[in-house]
Amino acid sequence: MAMKYPNYLSDTRPDVTPFEIDCGKIPAYVYRDSLKGEIDSGRLTAADAIALLEDMLIIRELEQMIVTVRSGMYDPIKNFDYRGPTHVSIGQEATSVGACSGLAATDKITTTHRGHGDSLAKGTVVIRTLDDEELRKRVPLSKAQTREALLEDALEEHVYRTIAELFGKEDGYCKGRGGGMHIADFSVGHLGANAIVGGGVPIATGAALAQRYLKSGAATCCFAGDGAYANGVVLESLNFAAQHQFTNELAGELKFGLPIIFFITNNHYGMTHRSNDEVMGVSNLARRAAGFSDDNMHAEVVNGMDVLAVRDAVMRASEKCRNGEGPCLLDVSTYRYYGHSLSDPRNEYRTREEEASWKETDPIERLKTQILDLGIASQSDLEAVEERVRQRNARAGVRAAKAADPLAEDVIKYMYTDSTSEELPSRTPSTQIIIALPEIKRKDGKLTYRDAIKEALVEEMARDSRVILYGEDVADYGGAFKGTKGLLEAFGRDRVFNTPISEACICGSAVGAAMAGLRPVVELMYMDFSLMASDQISNQAAKWHYMSGAQIEVPLVVRASVGGGKGYGGQHSQTLESIFAHIPGMYVVYPATPYDAKGLLKSAIRDNNPVMFVESQLLYGVSDTVPSDDYLIPLGVADIKREGSDITLVTWGPAVRDALKAAEELAAEGVSAEVIDLRCLVPLDIQTVLRSVQKTGKCVVVSQAIHIGSFTGEVASTIQEQAFDYLDAPIRRVGAKNGIAPQSHILEAAFLPNAADILQAAREIL
Amino acid sequence: MPEAQSIQMPKFGQTVEESTVVAWRKKEGDQVAKGEVLFEIETDKATLEVESFLEGTLLKILVKEGQTVPVQSVVGFIGKPGDSVPEVKAPVAAPKPAVGSAGPPKQASVPGPTGVGLSAPSAAVSAGVPAPPGRLKISPRAARLAKEKVIDPSGISGSGPGGRIVEKDVISYLASRGYDRLRITLAARNLAAAQHLDVLAIAGSRSGSRITVADVRTAMAERPKAMSKMRKVIAQRLTHSFTTTPHIFVTVSTDMTELMGLRVKLKKKGVPYTVTDFIVKAVIMSLKEFPGVNSSTDGESVRWRANVHMGVATSLEEGLVVPVVRLADDMTIAELHDRIVEVVRKAREGKLLPDEMSGSTFTISNMGMMNVENFSAIINPGESAILAVASTTSAPVVRDGKIVVRSIMKMTLSADHRIVDGAMAAGFVNAIKNRLEDIGLWKSMT
Repeated sequence: MAMKYPNYLSDTRPDVTPFEIDCGKIPAYVYRDSLKGEIDSGRLTAADAIALLEDMLIIRELEQMIVTVRSGMYDPIKNFDYRGPTHVSIGQEATSVGACSGLAATDKITTTHRGHGDSLAKGTVVIRTLDDEELRKRVPLSKAQTREALLEDALEEHVYRTIAELFGKEDGYCKGRGGGMHIADFSVGHLGANAIVGGGVPIATGAALAQRYLKSGAATCCFAGDGAYANGVVLESLNFAAQHQFTNELAGELKFGLPIIFFITNNHYGMTHRSNDEVMGVSNLARRAAGFSDDNMHAEVVNGMDVLAVRDAVMRASEKCRNGEGPCLLDVSTYRYYGHSLSDPRNEYRTREEEASWKETDPIERLKTQILDLGIASQSDLEAVEERVRQRNARAGVRAAKAADPLAEDVIKYMYTDSTSEELPSRTPSTQIIIALPEIKRKDGKLTYRDAIKEALVEEMARDSRVILYGEDVADYGGAFKGTKGLLEAFGRDRVFNTPISEACICGSAVGAAMAGLRPVVELMYMDFSLMASDQISNQAAKWHYMSGAQIEVPLVVRASVGGGKGYGGQHSQTLESIFAHIPGMYVVYPATPYDAKGLLKSAIRDNNPVMFVESQLLYGVSDTVPSDDYLIPLGVADIKREGSDITLVTWGPAVRDALKAAEELAAEGVSAEVIDLRCLVPLDIQTVLRSVQKTGKCVVVSQAIHIGSFTGEVASTIQEQAFDYLDAPIRRVGAKNGIAPQSHILEAAFLPNAADILQAAREIL
Repeated sequence: MPEAQSIQMPKFGQTVEESTVVAWRKKEGDQVAKGEVLFEIETDKATLEVESFLEGTLLKILVKEGQTVPVQSVVGFIGKPGDSVPEVKAPVAAPKPAVGSAGPPKQASVPGPTGVGLSAPSAAVSAGVPAPPGRLKISPRAARLAKEKVIDPSGISGSGPGGRIVEKDVISYLASRGYDRLRITLAARNLAAAQHLDVLAIAGSRSGSRITVADVRTAMAERPKAMSKMRKVIAQRLTHSFTTTPHIFVTVSTDMTELMGLRVKLKKKGVPYTVTDFIVKAVIMSLKEFPGVNSSTDGESVRWRANVHMGVATSLEEGLVVPVVRLADDMTIAELHDRIVEVVRKAREGKLLPDEMSGSTFTISNMGMMNVENFSAIINPGESAILAVASTTSAPVVRDGKIVVRSIMKMTLSADHRIVDGAMAAGFVNAIKNRLEDIGLWKSMT
């Protein structure tokens, strides 16, 4: 079947010839080499071996410090009041150091709540590769004269900033906003630990998506525990990463598998439950790969107690990623010596004999023995290394304990960024038009709301090649509501592509892609589906700018369409913007007119905050004047849609039209109503509302959301807090009934608010 | 789970219908022994301590300090910690109908069983909820305008829902009062605002000219003060009595010369009877002779009282109280003396129990110490007469055809003319007079 890039028409005919699915073989523990072999073959130097040992010791020392500091017994800072989690990874050091040492310095990682080791290792490994100038940037105050001393200062600074983060200090990597479970150092490619199990996996997937698109050559190593591999968004991510369209003819010239390593830090316990024989049906999680990819993602089971085996596996996997053969999956078997946290004594679920047998294979002791056996270093040399690590950690710990706390008044600093992409970075690649930009038809200068959105997307994608668009059925089909029709043909499938029906991964991958330099616009079809992605929107997109201490911005737009009014029933009709307005960190935008839709969407795409961009299916067909110019409407500026002096109607979304209708009828009764369209719930332009209420003294707040918990309540209460003395009557709210959207159009008409409801509310207070 | 026992607002005295909790002496969670003071109350007559009849832990205070509730309402609960406390709403004093209110105010409908507006697309109209008594119903905007204009909005009639005063009511009130023409200095206006005075009221006192600080100071000095609770009760009772009871007044002059002489002698012997003691005794004896005076009427029937409960009007700084000597009929003068001293002392100390302040059948008001020639009193509600006793003064009188100087005391009986005719009143006061002048009678008693 001939196919003209980028379009694709499936022509799959029925074929029922008997055959068998062959899942192939997944190798386990293939690494049989040793330190001697590594050195003999030149893959490692003696110094590298000592560095691997030292990096593992750094992790163990810091985590031992957490254990002892918690009980006030860490000698250098006795009785320090450490408040925070204690998810230590002691026993797993080889997985962190082996993996990070097998990656290139420019490769990315994401990790988990038990991620101190991964975070430390990514830092130490990268720091060891830096030249003197780069090292000096990390420690500008260092007085070191030699490379060795400079490196030592940089390593100590790394340990210090890690401990400072655990202790919630301003000098921490995330300025004390993230803590151990959300630690990140974007300067070394560490995109963040994640306290939501599995939460970082779609982020890594999105970061890999960005590397693929940017052709950066970087791989992303996604650390997640065995427990996470039962989590929906993780399974969504495996599928998302392995999509055929990345590697088959649909990819055109960019046939390249997603460069991601799904690194399962398999310590065999999800908190306390057993993954192997209790909560899962596979004995080896590596088998998961066979369910998602015809090539089994090159999966292997790896001995996670041997730093060399882990390093070897990750080197080979990252090489595959660089060759476009990703994704890869490594099931790395290791052991967590302590419990889930220090409050878990492990008595209920495993034997001390089991623990002892794993400790027999301790990764640090194993490497030490090999070093001593090879005569690379003497016992006293190794003792000196241990002492250096101990003293460095002690110095860092003392400094961190004494370091300045964040200022209490800065508690919500870093919630949002003021920056936008108004200026394109000079290295941004130019946009290529594959066939032609879609024709957007104007009638008397008017566009539909749908075309206004499309025009905004076209303009922004043409302007900035970092803007990519994906979601369910947005490509060939042009979106469920045809808002993206023609964009695939204009920009190609690497910028406009369909996704699996995986809302959580769609949103989560957008977070990772945004962190890695893209500006994704993702579409969720119905807003109701945003609840499928609520962790990725609320806990990830909204929080990372703050939790990272403003290291990173997350410029993404989630487009969600409200179906209310079409008789689609309870799961396709909800007006949910109030939920996201309650999540700090998100902007929430809801245009009511074609003009606003274009100007606001363009601003949303250029803004460096994550934006929930809500659209109404009731409005898609509405036409109004929309300039073909490149104009922006600033986020957080309300619009007075009609001026008046007797009563203020505050509203947004499709309710704006009802409010205008009500205002028209009130005018006939001699009442002058002012209609304010908030346009954005976050940021909220309350000043425009207050000025109006100060003028009129009366206010009705209207939205299509159900009454209870609606943002109308927030608006009303803010008015009474800030303009109480100007109120001549109680503020009234109008919304949908406190119920579930019904299918029956008779019931839905009764369910949704309309102009008559607004009129009634207004008359009651006039 | 056992249920906690309720604490009731006690009923002190027959006429007390409601009382105010002034202060709780125990907190929730405190241990309470039998007989310990739990809280203080104020009736319309006095402040009293209420002791606990129960022992245990004060589990719940239902009636907060400052709240007024009907007597015998539950005010709290005592029990063992963990006992269940019944869901009882704090009782409220019966609302007093507001002047001009037309019928009971409409109660707001409460939407939905959980009160979250299950069906309403918009919240219940707060306008339908009646304002608590004494609270002016005014929108914040209207209140702000009134404040800005330095006027008192309480007289403005509200056109908003439930009679709420809204902005336009203030605007039209200002127009109707000619606010635009008001001339006031800035300093005067600021002072009036700070003093919460109404510039329109000040203007009323000095029409035409510009209002100055001096005018505001005058208004400050003349600002009406709220009556005390006691004064309100006095005002209400006297008004009621004087407007519903037709009074007649009958005055007699009594020659007190010999009785005063006896009193001086007795005093020297250490028996300190007062003039009041003699008058009270004489009145009691005369009431036995004229039982029609020891009576009361509701306008339909007449009730003769079997005993004499003698009210002795006593002036205090904050007003007048009438402590009662109950069952005074058979008391000797000595007993009367002791009892009168006791109740008057308690009255001055504010320690009268409600029953010691109510139920009198006749009252004596003695202003003898205050240098008055003569006066008349208003009948205490529930009685048919009151005796106003003036000062005893030296006066020239004719005795046996000669002008002599005698100690003369005038007494005026005020009587309810519905049940006491002029002749009965005259007979009664003369019976008192004759007894007081009969020195033999007193010598036999003392």
